[in-house]
Amino acid sequence: MATEETAVRSGKTELPLLWVAKPLATAARQFGRSLVRPSTIVYPFERLEDPKFRTEVHVASGKPIGVGAVWDNYRGVHALNLETCISCNLCAFSCPDICIEMVTVPGGDPKHPKKCPQIDYGKCSYCGFCSDACPEGCLTMTTRYELSVTKRSEMVYSPERLYGVYKEKLPMNPIRLERPKNEDSILLDAPLCIGCNACARDCPTNCITMLDIPKAAPKPGEKPAKRIWKEPVVNDSDCVRCGTCISVCPKECLFWGTHP
Amino acid sequence: MSEMWINMGPQHPMTHGLWNLRVRIDGELVLEVDPEMGYLHRGIEKISEDRHYNEVITLMDRTCYVAGMAWENLFILGAEQALHVEPPERAKWIRTLSEEFQRIGSHVMWYAAFVQDIGLMAPFLYGMRDRDLVLDLFQSYTGARMTYEYNRVGGVRNDLPPGFIDRARKVCDWLLDRFQEYDDLCLGSDIFRKRCDGLGVLKAADCVRAGITGPMLRSAGVKRDVRKDRPYNAYDQVEFDVAVADGADVTARYLVRMEELRQSVRIIRQCLDWLERNPGPAMAENLPRWMGAPYAPVGKEGYLLKRNYPKGVGLSAIEEPHGEALAYVVNEGGEHPYRVKLKSPIFTNLSAAKHYLVGYRVADIPPIMGSVDVCVGEVDR
Repeated sequence: MATEETAVRSGKTELPLLWVAKPLATAARQFGRSLVRPSTIVYPFERLEDPKFRTEVHVASGKPIGVGAVWDNYRGVHALNLETCISCNLCAFSCPDICIEMVTVPGGDPKHPKKCPQIDYGKCSYCGFCSDACPEGCLTMTTRYELSVTKRSEMVYSPERLYGVYKEKLPMNPIRLERPKNEDSILLDAPLCIGCNACARDCPTNCITMLDIPKAAPKPGEKPAKRIWKEPVVNDSDCVRCGTCISVCPKECLFWGTHP
Repeated sequence: MSEMWINMGPQHPMTHGLWNLRVRIDGELVLEVDPEMGYLHRGIEKISEDRHYNEVITLMDRTCYVAGMAWENLFILGAEQALHVEPPERAKWIRTLSEEFQRIGSHVMWYAAFVQDIGLMAPFLYGMRDRDLVLDLFQSYTGARMTYEYNRVGGVRNDLPPGFIDRARKVCDWLLDRFQEYDDLCLGSDIFRKRCDGLGVLKAADCVRAGITGPMLRSAGVKRDVRKDRPYNAYDQVEFDVAVADGADVTARYLVRMEELRQSVRIIRQCLDWLERNPGPAMAENLPRWMGAPYAPVGKEGYLLKRNYPKGVGLSAIEEPHGEALAYVVNEGGEHPYRVKLKSPIFTNLSAAKHYLVGYRVADIPPIMGSVDVCVGEVDR
């Protein structure tokens, strides 16, 4: 139960103030300035991408200052350069929202179709990890931010549509991340390898070559091993570290590691 | 007399988010309060266990949507301890700079919401307008206005773009003038003082007993600030004062936050000076690939555990705009954290509602709760 004492705890002040003269004067000053320099823009008719906002933005009081533009590193809709995409899957692996799906696009040879990212903007959180992960710099993010559609299916951007965004030459994120200095390499667990060529076949950069190895003599009392006498050798300087070879290896004999 | 329970929330202008304040009233007098949280629970701690360390950053931005950079810093500090990674000096200063800008953004946002709670519309618009400048600055170097995804294990994603330091200096000068205007609008108004003086008093001893941190604690005169007491990032190399007031009421909390805004500008100027003088890498070199990459490398199940990465435990505390936040990150050698525990300061401040609400009038609840600075995203996580 509240006592009489707690009931009177609120509401007491004795301050020598000019009532509300100060706030009124401040608000009037702001109002006067906003007539000359409004701090808002008339959005659909004026846009922050306009070059005039690139240098300065008008604010209601004080001097105009150089913020308010849409900067080039804004993370908006992706742009995909279909011609340089190597189908390495790294964008799809890096996506925390699993909104990237690799779909077949025309242009590859029939045996090994070319697969490029298709992005579902209903799920995308615009974190930019995919463009950070892209080793060729073909998937970047543009400054486009208007995405409203009338059907949910239109939120899914096919690779061709992303290529269309690329061809519009919108401002793109200028910052490319450097690759880490000591990247892990693809190592081979040689006794497990059967020389099946799957890794070399699926490598997007063709950095794996199958080299001949000498045929091992069977141990006494054992059948000769059934395998192709070839072993993959990875060219580390061309490798983009996508891990496709590891995921396609049927014997799980490839793994990440540092060279001894 | 007839007593009754009323629900303020989950959809109520006072709550600033989804939570419910059940109040037992006798006429106008508040007899008992019962805050109910959990409407915005998203399981961020659990989801974090299934994500690469750098991917957790996307969740941290959404933990508190007005102070995303502070939570990024918090988690990254914990994760770097757990992974035994030391970021370069420049990254520490950039993080300090980002956190102080975030403090300005958060406090100005608080100011806008708070004055609207007590019925002032024009200062609300001024506050939102000025916060936009901070968000634009963030966008110019992180690429987004609210969900930055800027920190990485071992540093920050990219260095500051050219021209940023000049722009930031201009914004600082401009903001300082605006803070003076805020004071003119609020402290200079008799109506504001009559509405806020002596409201929601919570004395120092009660604050400490309830575990309250942040501006609420400092408004009671307790000089407690993690930035000073346990410096992280570059806070041991910048000069600033801890803002305290002694009223322990709504006005005192207002004064503390306004002083913190000015101190933030002071810290930012020192950071800008340092960053201008000392170029260098913003990302640690020679990170293992799985740590530096934003994604988990492909491989067969469990192969990472086989590789015996060093295990570790990280415990980090930062002075978030709302109070003292804590992150506990356990690294069991995998590519994902084994456990992430986040301690939200607002959860504690809000849970102690009965200590500063009982005995006041129903009409006093919006200003008092407004002065607590509630961000439900981080209360419920």
